[in-house]
Amino acid sequence: MGSNSSSVNNIPNAQELMQETGFSAAHILRLHERFEFLDKDKRGQLSPQDFGALPELALNPIGDRIIGAFFSPGQETVDFASFVRILAHFRPTETNRTRDGAQQEPVNSKTRKLKFAFQLYDQDRDGKISRAELLQVLRAMLGIQVTEEQLQSIAERAIQEADLDKDDAISFDEFRKSLEKVDIDHKMSIRFLR
Amino acid sequence: MPLGAGSHSPAGIGKTLQERGLLLLMVLVFLEGSVLPLGASSSPDISHQEHLDKHKVADKGHNFTKKPFPVLSLDYPHIQVPFEISLWVLLASLMKLGFHLIPRLSSIVPESCLLIVVGLLVGGLIKLAGEDLPPVLDSRLFFLCLLPPIILDAGYFLPIRPFMENLGTILMFAVVGTLWNAFFIGGLLYAVCQIQPNNPSSLHTIELLPCLLFASIISAVDPVAVLAVFEEIHINELLHILVFGESLLNDAVTVVLYHLFEEYAGVGTVTVMDAVLGVISFLVVALGGVLVGAIYGILAAFTSRFTSHTRVIEPLFVFVYSYMAYLSAEMFHLSGIMALIACGAVMRPYVEANISHKSHTTIKYFLKMWSSVSETLIFIFLGVATVDGPHSWNWTFVTVTVILCLVARVIGVVGLTFVINKFRIVKLTTKDQFIVAYGGLRGAIAFSLGFLLNKDHFPMREMFLTAIITVIFFTVFVQGMTIKPLVELLAVKKKQEAKRSINEEIHTQFLDHLLTGIEDICGHYGHHHWKDKLNRFNKKYVKKCLIAGERSKEPQLIAFYHKMEMKQAIELVESGGGVKLPSAVPSTVSMQNIQPKKLLIDKPAERSLSQLPKGREEEIRKILRSNLQKTRMRLRSYNRHTLVADPYEDGFGDFLIKKQKMIELERKIKNMNNYLTVPAAPPDSPTMCRARLASGTGTDFKPAQQQKCNKICPDPQAYSTKAASDRVPTIKVDLASPQSPDSVNLMDEFRRGGQQQQEEDQGLTMKPPSGPSGPNKPGEADEPREQQKLMRCLSDPGPSAEEEEDEPFLP
Repeated sequence: MGSNSSSVNNIPNAQELMQETGFSAAHILRLHERFEFLDKDKRGQLSPQDFGALPELALNPIGDRIIGAFFSPGQETVDFASFVRILAHFRPTETNRTRDGAQQEPVNSKTRKLKFAFQLYDQDRDGKISRAELLQVLRAMLGIQVTEEQLQSIAERAIQEADLDKDDAISFDEFRKSLEKVDIDHKMSIRFLR
Repeated sequence: MPLGAGSHSPAGIGKTLQERGLLLLMVLVFLEGSVLPLGASSSPDISHQEHLDKHKVADKGHNFTKKPFPVLSLDYPHIQVPFEISLWVLLASLMKLGFHLIPRLSSIVPESCLLIVVGLLVGGLIKLAGEDLPPVLDSRLFFLCLLPPIILDAGYFLPIRPFMENLGTILMFAVVGTLWNAFFIGGLLYAVCQIQPNNPSSLHTIELLPCLLFASIISAVDPVAVLAVFEEIHINELLHILVFGESLLNDAVTVVLYHLFEEYAGVGTVTVMDAVLGVISFLVVALGGVLVGAIYGILAAFTSRFTSHTRVIEPLFVFVYSYMAYLSAEMFHLSGIMALIACGAVMRPYVEANISHKSHTTIKYFLKMWSSVSETLIFIFLGVATVDGPHSWNWTFVTVTVILCLVARVIGVVGLTFVINKFRIVKLTTKDQFIVAYGGLRGAIAFSLGFLLNKDHFPMREMFLTAIITVIFFTVFVQGMTIKPLVELLAVKKKQEAKRSINEEIHTQFLDHLLTGIEDICGHYGHHHWKDKLNRFNKKYVKKCLIAGERSKEPQLIAFYHKMEMKQAIELVESGGGVKLPSAVPSTVSMQNIQPKKLLIDKPAERSLSQLPKGREEEIRKILRSNLQKTRMRLRSYNRHTLVADPYEDGFGDFLIKKQKMIELERKIKNMNNYLTVPAAPPDSPTMCRARLASGTGTDFKPAQQQKCNKICPDPQAYSTKAASDRVPTIKVDLASPQSPDSVNLMDEFRRGGQQQQEEDQGLTMKPPSGPSGPNKPGEADEPREQQKLMRCLSDPGPSAEEEEDEPFLP
C-alpha cells in the first residue's frame, strides 16, 4: 500500500473529497477502482446503463430508484465526485463526536442518511411522501402476488399511523419520527465504507 | 406444630387477601415438606410388611388363613416415584405463586435466589427428618428432563434478527471468552495450589489437568441463571442477546473442554496432537449440533405442512422433533443445546405459517409453562443438593476460585471488546461491557457437570463440588441481587416496548433493499448481500416445500400486516371497542377472500360528508354503547383462559337474544332518524373494527361505506352500511387460509346443524347482513365462517401484544 498516496493524487479533487466526505485515502482509491470498473466506456462519467449492467441491481425491487438517486435531476451522467458523495451517506457514523455549531453536519449523519432514504421515496421532490408514491414503493417491493386492495389498505394504514398533521402525506419529520425506534446508524451503514 | 399454627388465622395478621394466601401456601408447603420424609420412611415399613406376608403364605403352604378382606389399604410404594415427582413440581409451582404474593420481596430479590433458599429449607427439613435426600440433581435427570424445555423455549422464541446481526460478537465471547476463562482460572488455580510449601495440604495433590477441568466446568456462563436474572431487569435487546447468546453458544466449548480434560486427566498429559484434535472436535461438536438441529427443524416444518386435518397434535410435533434433536445430538456427544436452538429457530417461521392459531398459542404456553417449571425446579434442587452433597470445604481453594472467576471474566470481556469494537458498526460502550461482565452468571449446568465427575479419577471431587456451589451461590445471590440496582444506577438503556408499526416494517424492508443495492454498486459482498441471497433462496425454494398452500407465496410484509390487524381486532373486541365509527377507506383485514371487483375506493367522496347534528350523534352513541356492553358481557365468556371454546355449545341461546336485541335496536333507531340506518351488526362490527384499525383517533361519525352509499342511495346522507354489505370486506381474524379445512369443517358442522341456525347466526356476524342489493351466496357462506373465525379468535389469547417475531424472548 506504499504507492497509495501517489495513486490517490491521480484522482482529481481527491483531497477535497476526502475532506468533505470523511473517507480515507484507501477508500477513495477503492471507490475509484470501482468507478472505473463500472465505467465501461471509459468516459469518466457513469450513465444509467452502466449501473444497469449490474445483475444484482436489476433484481433489486428498488434498483431503478437507487440508480436514479445518483443522478441529480436533469443530469444524465454522474462523475466520480458525485458518486463518492452519494456513497458517503453510508459511512458508519462516528459516535462521541463533538461538533461545534460552525462545523457543517457530516454527510453520514443520521439526518442526512434519513434524508437520502426519504428522497428515494419522494420521487417528485415535493418534500412529502404522498399516498401514490408510497403505493409505488409498496408495489415494487411486494411484487405481483399482492392484490391492489391489499396494497391500498397497507398504504392507508401506514399513512394513518405516520401522518400526524393529517395532510394525507408523510413529511420528512413524520418519516423520521416513525423510524425513531430503528437504529439508523446501524441500519444504513456499510462496514466497508469506514 | 406448624400445622396447627396455620389452621386458624389469628386476629392480628391474616387480614388481607395476600397474607391469607401466603399463610395457606406456607401450610401447604409444610405439609409437603413433612410428607416427603414420611413417604420415604413409610416405604421400607410397608415393603417389610409385604415380605412378612409372603413368608406367612409360603409357610402355611396349603393352609390359607382367611384374612378379612382389606377394604382400605395403603400401598405407597406403588405410586411412590410419580407421587414424589408430582410433589416436587407442585412445590415449585406453589413457590412461584407465593413469591408474587409478596411484591416487595420479589422486587428486591430475584426469584432464583428465593428458590434456592426454599430448596435449602426443604433439603434441611428432609435431612432433619432423618431421611436420605433423593438424588435430585442427578445429571441424567438434569440434562435429559430439566434442561431441554428451557433451552427449547429460548430457542423457539429467539429473536433471530438481533442474534444474527451480533453473531460475530456473540461467538467471540462464547468461544474465545470461555477458553480464556478456562485456561486463566485453571492455570492460576494450579499455581496457587502449588505455592503452599509450608502447609502441605491436600491441595498439592491436585494436578494441572484436573484444575483445568474444574476451570472449564466453572467458566461457562449458564443460560438458566442468565435467563432467570435478566428476565427481571429488562435491559435493552442488544445486551440481552449478547449475554444470552453467549451462554447458549458456549455449550459447545464446554462440552469439548470437559471431555478433553476428563479423558486425559487420568493419563496426566495432553499433547499437541490432542489439542489439535480438540480444536477439530470443537468444530464438529458445534457445527454438528447445529446441523442435527437444522435437519430436525426442517423435518418438523415439513411435517407441519400436512397437519391441516389434525390440528390438535400440531404442537406435539414441535415438541417431539425438538426433543429428538436434542437427544440425537447428545447421543453423538455433540452440543445438544445448539441443536435445540437450531431446531427451534429453523422450524419456527415455517411452522408458524402452517399451524392454526390455537396450536400457536398452545405451543407458546406449553413452552413457557414447562420452561418456567423446569427453571423453578432447577433452583430448588440446587438448594437441596447443597444440603445433601458431600462437602469438603477448603478456604483457599474456594476463595481463590471465586476471585479468579470474577477477575477472569472482567479481563476477558474488556479485552475481547477492545478487539471486537474494531469490527462493529455500533460499538460497545464501557457500560455495556460492565453489564456483560457482570451478567456472567454460573448455574446448575456447572454443578451437574461437576456431579458427573468420577470419584476414582478425581479424588478431590467433593472439594470441586463445594467450590462450584460457592461460585454459583455467589454469582446468583450477589450478582443477581445487585444487578438490578446497578442497571438503574448506570442508567443502562432499557428494553423498548417494541410495538412494531407497519411503517417500521415497510421502511426497514425498504432500507434492506437499499443497502443491498448500494453494496452491489460498491461491489462489496457484505452482510446485506448474503442476507438478500438467503431470502431469495428461501422464497424461491424453501418456502414452497415447507409451507402449505397459499401461504407459501405470502410476502413477509403481508404476513406482518395480517398479524397486526388481527391483533388489533382482538384487542378491540376485548376492550369492548370504541364508539367511534370508521372514517376512512375500509382496510381489508382478510387478504384472501374479499370480492375485489366491486370494491371501490373513492377518496374525495368519502371526505365530503355532512355531519350529523350533535344531539343525534349522542343518542346514537348511547344506544350503541349500551348494546356494546351487552355484547361485552356475552363475549366475556370467551376469556383468555378458554383456549378451546366451542361456540356452538355456548352460543345458541345468546344468538337468539342477540338477534332480538338487534332487531329492537334497529327499529328504535329507524324511528329516530329516517336517514340513519345503523346496521344490525353489533357495534364491534367490521365498521367499528375498521375504525380502530384505521386509527380512528378523533374520527367522526362517518361510516366507511359512505361513498358507496352515495352511489346506490339517492340520499347522500344515508348511513346505510347495509347497502354496501357485499362490498364490505369482511374481517377474518384467522391466520390460516380461508380455504383451510379448519374453517370448512366448522362450516360443515354448522350446515349439519340445520338451516335455521344460519338465520340465528346473523346476530353476531362480523359482516353486515346482505343489504338491498340482494343476498349473495358468498356473503352468506361467509357469515358462519366469519363467526367461527371470530369465535376462534376471541377464544384464543392470540399472539400476545408483547411478543412478535423480532422481539425479546420472554414476556
